[in-house]
Amino acid sequence: MTDDTTPMTDGGTDDEARTDGGPPATVPPDDETPTWSERKERSQGLAQLTYQYFERSRREDEDLRAESTYVERDVLGFPTWPHETIRNLAITSFFLGIMLLVASILPGHFGDPANPGSTPAIILPDWYLYWSFGLLKLSPINPELAVLGGNIVMSNELYGLVAHGAIFGVITLVPFLNKGNARRPVEEPGWAALGMTGVVLAITLAVLAIQNFFPVPLELLFSLVFMLPVVAGIITYAVLKTMREGYMYDLNRRYFMLRPPK
Amino acid sequence: MSLKKQDDMDHNAWLKSQDLTAIETAFLTTLIWLDKRLRIVDYLELLETMYYRANLQMPKSHTEQYDLDNKFWYWYPLYSLGSLSIIAYLLAAVSGALLGFYYAPSTAGAAAQGDPTAAYDSMVMIMTDVQFGFMLRAIHRWAAQFMVAAVFLHMLRVYFTGAYKEPREVNWILGVVLIALTLLFGFSGYVLPWKQLSFWAAQIGGELALATPIVGEWAAQLLFGGFTLGQATLVRMYILHVFVLPFVVTALIAVHVGIVWVQGIAEPH
Repeated sequence: MTDDTTPMTDGGTDDEARTDGGPPATVPPDDETPTWSERKERSQGLAQLTYQYFERSRREDEDLRAESTYVERDVLGFPTWPHETIRNLAITSFFLGIMLLVASILPGHFGDPANPGSTPAIILPDWYLYWSFGLLKLSPINPELAVLGGNIVMSNELYGLVAHGAIFGVITLVPFLNKGNARRPVEEPGWAALGMTGVVLAITLAVLAIQNFFPVPLELLFSLVFMLPVVAGIITYAVLKTMREGYMYDLNRRYFMLRPPK
Repeated sequence: MSLKKQDDMDHNAWLKSQDLTAIETAFLTTLIWLDKRLRIVDYLELLETMYYRANLQMPKSHTEQYDLDNKFWYWYPLYSLGSLSIIAYLLAAVSGALLGFYYAPSTAGAAAQGDPTAAYDSMVMIMTDVQFGFMLRAIHRWAAQFMVAAVFLHMLRVYFTGAYKEPREVNWILGVVLIALTLLFGFSGYVLPWKQLSFWAAQIGGELALATPIVGEWAAQLLFGGFTLGQATLVRMYILHVFVLPFVVTALIAVHVGIVWVQGIAEPH
């Protein structure tokens, strides 16, 4: 730092008298961006690990690209303009038209003003919250513990909330439980059956929410709410399994037609 | 050395040496004048790049590669549900902004219990006095219904075609959050007209919030403005519906679509 050869701005050489702050403390090596390995050497701890990973993943990319047999072609598909754009415009205007049409022929009912003093006989949210409203009517199966003298552990509202949490939790966990490349329901009949169970459960819970409109005894309705989804799941599973057998039969038949057994 | 400013690129001299029509000269003169001040050339380059990007030829897709076109196009409507929910969302946003000119989030004006409040009266005013108001409300209502329906069906499509699988877990979770927010959107909108059904739906919502352990009272205060419904509830639902949720949901939709763009559409096998 206190280098005698470094001239001062006024041409002097006396360091004691230096007032220009001296030469810069750090000198950028050059105007090139440092590579990942250079950055890695300069850093430590978590930053160093990050750079190490960057280097690894870039090398992985390069290896994969070198191994790949993918050939780029000149014309490979659908151009964004005009094909894709026109198609999207057509779909958009069709859908907008449907919405405006429905809005004009079914504008919707407008009820009485709010009256905090009188509870209406039927309280209902919009249709898309029926399933959620049905979950709040599960009080008959809110467990009572004998230890507590037959008292319920959770209030009925909390029980409904917990049911919501469980459903959202299960839905969130799906991608962490089901992995792999399968894309069609026939490839994974179990998961498709689970999905159908969920769909039918949403519908039966919605029916539970509007139970007043169904002249079915509550006990029976309750059983159906949980039986029907399971039945739907079993049927889905059976149908998909059968379809899979059919596909295999077709494949086998084609195979034996090509290569008949001697 | 002269003090006269030297232009190392004498564009005007170059312009004169060219044999140009009047239109070309005018265009180039304007361009040079603007470019000296605003460096447009850089932006023109960017525009050119964008032009070519927009006309990019897509790589050969899985469907083309394995000749699945007929199957894929048969199922295509199910693959447009995500964009349909965005279209419905935009329609609801436009009609909602127009409704916002006339709606008043206030429970004032009811002399006795069960009398129409200012909020209810403003809804009646929209439906009877405002030009096109009846249709406007119907459009807003139906756009919301279509959006929720499209979002639900979109989730089913993603589930049954396994489009949520690795590496798309994050987008699936984002989608679950978006569905919850869409339902909250619908619920808060349902409360605003302060009808009998609105009031009692909000009542149930408030009881639920209160039943939550630990944070219950705080949540009831925050979302419903207290333990009994009134002016505070209506204003909170209103702010949630027209200020908080629009920003949050729009931002999340942008991220959701952005991730789809980056990761590509998971095509059926």
